[in-house]
Amino acid sequence: MQDSRSATPLAGYRAELHRWLDAHSAELAPRYSPPGTLDDHIAQMQRVKRLLFEAGWMQFGWPERVGGRGGSPMLRTELGAALAGRDLTDPGLFSLIEVLAPTLIDFAPEGLAAEVVPRLLSGAELWCQGFSEPDSGSDLASLRCRAVPEGDAGTASTWVINGQKVWTSLAQYSDRCVLLARTGPADSKHRGITAFFVDMDTPGISVAPLEMINGEHEFAEVFFDDVAVPAERMLGELNGGWAVAMSILPYERSSCFWQRIAYLYRRLQKLVEVAPDDDRTAEAVGNAFLQLHALRARSRATQHRLAAGGTLGAETSIDKVLVATAEQTTYDAARRVLSGIVEMDDSVAGELWRSEYLYSRAATIYGGTLEVQRNIIARRLLELGSDE
Amino acid sequence: MIDASERAAMEETLRAAIAGADGNAKLDEVLHQLGWLELLAAEPADAIEIVFGALGATGGAATALDDVLVSALGREPGADIAVLLPRFGSWDPPGRIDANAILAQSLATARAATASEVLVACGTASEPWLLAIPMPVAEVRAVRGIDPDAGYHELRVEGSAAGAIRLDPAAWQSAIALGRRAVAHQMAGASRAMLALARGHALERVQFGRPIARFQAVRHRLADALVAVEALEATLTAAREEPTPDTAALAKAAAGRTARTVAAHCQQVLAGIGFTAEHPFHRFLKRTMALEGLFGSADAIVLDVGKRLLAARNVPTLIEL
Repeated sequence: MQDSRSATPLAGYRAELHRWLDAHSAELAPRYSPPGTLDDHIAQMQRVKRLLFEAGWMQFGWPERVGGRGGSPMLRTELGAALAGRDLTDPGLFSLIEVLAPTLIDFAPEGLAAEVVPRLLSGAELWCQGFSEPDSGSDLASLRCRAVPEGDAGTASTWVINGQKVWTSLAQYSDRCVLLARTGPADSKHRGITAFFVDMDTPGISVAPLEMINGEHEFAEVFFDDVAVPAERMLGELNGGWAVAMSILPYERSSCFWQRIAYLYRRLQKLVEVAPDDDRTAEAVGNAFLQLHALRARSRATQHRLAAGGTLGAETSIDKVLVATAEQTTYDAARRVLSGIVEMDDSVAGELWRSEYLYSRAATIYGGTLEVQRNIIARRLLELGSDE
Repeated sequence: MIDASERAAMEETLRAAIAGADGNAKLDEVLHQLGWLELLAAEPADAIEIVFGALGATGGAATALDDVLVSALGREPGADIAVLLPRFGSWDPPGRIDANAILAQSLATARAATASEVLVACGTASEPWLLAIPMPVAEVRAVRGIDPDAGYHELRVEGSAAGAIRLDPAAWQSAIALGRRAVAHQMAGASRAMLALARGHALERVQFGRPIARFQAVRHRLADALVAVEALEATLTAAREEPTPDTAALAKAAAGRTARTVAAHCQQVLAGIGFTAEHPFHRFLKRTMALEGLFGSADAIVLDVGKRLLAARNVPTLIEL
C-alpha cells in the first residue's frame, strides 16, 4: 500500500514543509532522551515553535492582523500533523494553540490579540484554558467561579475573580489563562458566563498540578482568590462567555483532530514495525487501520466543509465519537499484540506504550464525554426530541 | 460530475421508479429506460453512487452489478452479458484453469438466467484469465439463501479453456474495487433505511407512558448507528476521491461493519415488530447479510489489509487533506 499521491491544493505546501522539516531534522529533534519528562516535552515544544516561527512556518493560516501570513487554516493543520507524524511535539499539547488563539482573534479587544497571539505562536508564552470546575464537568454551564465588578458592571475598570478550576492543561507552565467565570445570577447557566484573559502571575492565583493515572502532571487545579483583572481583558460581551466557549468547537473538532489522527497513524506505524507477523496481529492491526481510515475520511470532509465557509455544529459530535473510539482501538491493539508491553515492560518503549495506553482511556471523557456526544447526536442530528 | 440538483432529481426519479417496479426484471428495465448504461459510461462514480445507493435505500434488486463488472473488465455492458461473481466471502477469480480446461462454480445475479453469455474470470488475482462463455452453460440454479428476493443464482461451468485471454491483474483489481464500492453504496443505503425505520418506531412506540425515543438507552443505540453510517459514507467519499483498490477495500469493510452495527441496534429498538415478516426491517437485514459476502466480508478484508501492513511494515495514509 502507498500513501496518497494525488495533487490537492495543499499538496505543494505540504511537500515544501516536509522538505524543510527534513533539512532541519537535527535542529528540531528532541534534546532529551526518551521518554522524557513533561518539562522536557514542554521545552521541546516551545523550542520547535520558536524555530518554526523564525522560519515563518508557524504564521501560515493565521490572519495578518495578528502577525500571521494568512491563508487557509488547513495550512496550520498540516503543520501540526507533520510535527505529530514526526514525533517532534505532542499533538495534545501543540494543538492547544487551536483552542486558544482563535478565541483571542475573534473576541479580544483590538490590539490585545495582535500583541499576544504572536507570543503564543513563537513559543515565548504558554496559555491555558480555565473552563472545567470540580462540580462542572459535562455540565459546563453550571460553573460557579465568580467574577464581580468593582462598582457598576457597565463602567467597572476591574473585575475580581474567586473560585476554582480543574483539568486545566499546563496551568503550572502558563503565562495566561482564557477563563470562564459566572457574571450573572447563580442559576443563569450559559446566559450568565463571561470570558476573561487573565495573566497567570496576577496575585491571588495558585496552581496545584494533578498527578494523572499515567504519572504525568499535565493537568492542574487553579485557585482564584480575589484576583483582580482589568476590564479590557474581558473577551467578548459581558455574559457572552458561552459564545466564546462554543466558538472553539470548530477548531477543536477539525485541526486538533487531524493532528491527533496523524499521531495515531504514527503509533500504528510504530506498532507494525515491531509486531509479530501472525493472523491475530494482522486482525488487530487491520481493524485499527480501518477505524483510523474512516476517521481520517470523516475529518477530511469536515475540514473541507469548514474551509469552504460552512459552519460546524452538532455533526462534529460524530467526529468526536470516531476519534475517541479509534484512539482506544489503536492502543487496545498495541496492548493485545505486544503482550506485556503495557503491563510489565520497563524499557523506553514500554514506558511510552504504558503511558499512552493509560492516557487513551480519557479519550472518551475529555472534550465532552461520549455520552454527551450521543445525547447531542440523538437530539440534534436524529431529531428524537427531548429526552425529558 | 453531476451537480447536486440534477443528482437529487435523478435519485428521486429512481426511487419512485424502483418503488413502482413490479419484480426484478422490471427494475432492470426501469434502470435501462432511465439511462443507467449511458450514465455508467459517462460518469461511473456518480452512476454507481446514485443507482446502488437507491437500490439499498429502497430494497430494490437489480442486476446492475453485472454492468459495473463487465465494463470494468473492458467489455460493453448490456442485458445479454452476465458475470460470474467471486465465491461468497472471496474476491479471487471464481474459476480454476488447468491446461486447457476450466472449472468454475460460483454466484451470479439473476441475469445469469437470461443472458446469452457470461464472463468468467479464472486463475489467481495475480495471474487472472478471462473467458466469455456462451449460455446456456452446464448448470444454472436459483439460490434461495437468506435473501431469495435478491435473485442470486449459482453457476457451474466446466469445459474447454479455449478462448481464454490473459487479464491484466490491475484490471481484475479495479473491477473488484468498483464492485466493492457499488455493494458498499448499496449497504450504506440499506443501513440508512434500517435507521430510518428504527427512528420512526422509537418516536411512535409508547411504553411506560412515553415514546421509547425518550429513553437514553434507545437514543444512544440510534446515535451509534448514525455514527457508523456516517463513517461508512466518509469512506465511500474517500474511495471516490482517491480511487484505489485499498480505499475501495476499506469502504467495503466499513460497509460490513456498519451494516452489522446498524442492524443490531435497529433490530433491538424495533423489538417485536422488527421480528415479524410484516415489518420491512427484515428485508434490509437479509439484504445486507448477503451483500456482506460479495467481494469479501469485513473480517476477511480487515485480515488481508492487516497482513499487508505487517508484510510492508508500513502504515500509509491513503488520503490527505
